[in-house]
Amino acid sequence: MVTRYFLVLILALLVMMLSIFSLSLVQTDEPQTIKTQEGKKLIISEQIYDLDGNPIPLKSLTKGKVLLNVWASWCITCLVEHPFLKSITESKNVKLIGINYKDQNFNATSYLQKNGDPYEFSIFDLSGDISLKLGVTGAPETFLVIDGEIISHRIGEVNLEVWNEKFAPYF
Amino acid sequence: MKNLLRIFNIFIFFTLPIYAENLYENLNPQQLKRLDYLAENIRCPKCSYGNINSSNAPISKDLKQEIASLIKEGYSNDEIFKFMEERYGNYVILKTDINENKTLFLIPLIVLLISILLVTTYTIKRSK
Repeated sequence: MVTRYFLVLILALLVMMLSIFSLSLVQTDEPQTIKTQEGKKLIISEQIYDLDGNPIPLKSLTKGKVLLNVWASWCITCLVEHPFLKSITESKNVKLIGINYKDQNFNATSYLQKNGDPYEFSIFDLSGDISLKLGVTGAPETFLVIDGEIISHRIGEVNLEVWNEKFAPYF
Repeated sequence: MKNLLRIFNIFIFFTLPIYAENLYENLNPQQLKRLDYLAENIRCPKCSYGNINSSNAPISKDLKQEIASLIKEGYSNDEIFKFMEERYGNYVILKTDINENKTLFLIPLIVLLISILLVTTYTIKRSK
């Protein structure tokens, strides 16, 4: 009698587990991924320099609409999105500023010479410290900063589809 | 010949420190242990899986360095977990919080209890 009772209990448990499992199959939520930096303030506490070594006033980043693009000459996906960035700066009024991430100065400048330079200027970030505090996980990444606040953040390549979804409404 | 070999071995021995790499030399052993624990339980944000310790991504090295400096500044483990969660989201925390996942931890225990009861009652019944 007792064993039958427990058997029923185990069966009920099995049914419950199966139903939970099948429910989880039905749910089509996007898998949890890393949090973007949207809604946060742009934090840069140290003095920043461009590729030529000129100091950059922080105001040029925190005033108005700025598109920040993290790139590096060693990054293959950056090369893929490069033509798209160029086409955007040519066709729209976009202030595009690069963050040169963990790159040698020489490689970065020759990369821009070879592939064209869509950036107003590029912040030189050899150690990756500036990017780390911004919440960058790697290259490429793109931030839309309006008056010092991060409005959109894309981790990965920017193409027309991503642009239309995340950035186009602001331009 | 043997002596020559011995001298050669000693010479090789003295070159070993070149390969030693102590990146976090201003941390004491206890803090290094904490650093290891934290790096073991924080996911590399660039990878689909794998913690900071196991990853070769540049960001992982940077994050480990940052955790080291946070430890040096006197942050507690929980505060560092919170700091990382604040920046990258819950996704990067590999340590599962028991309080937030009570059912997850309780179900196996319940199943175990039930099966123990089942087995004991069954064996008692059979021995009679």
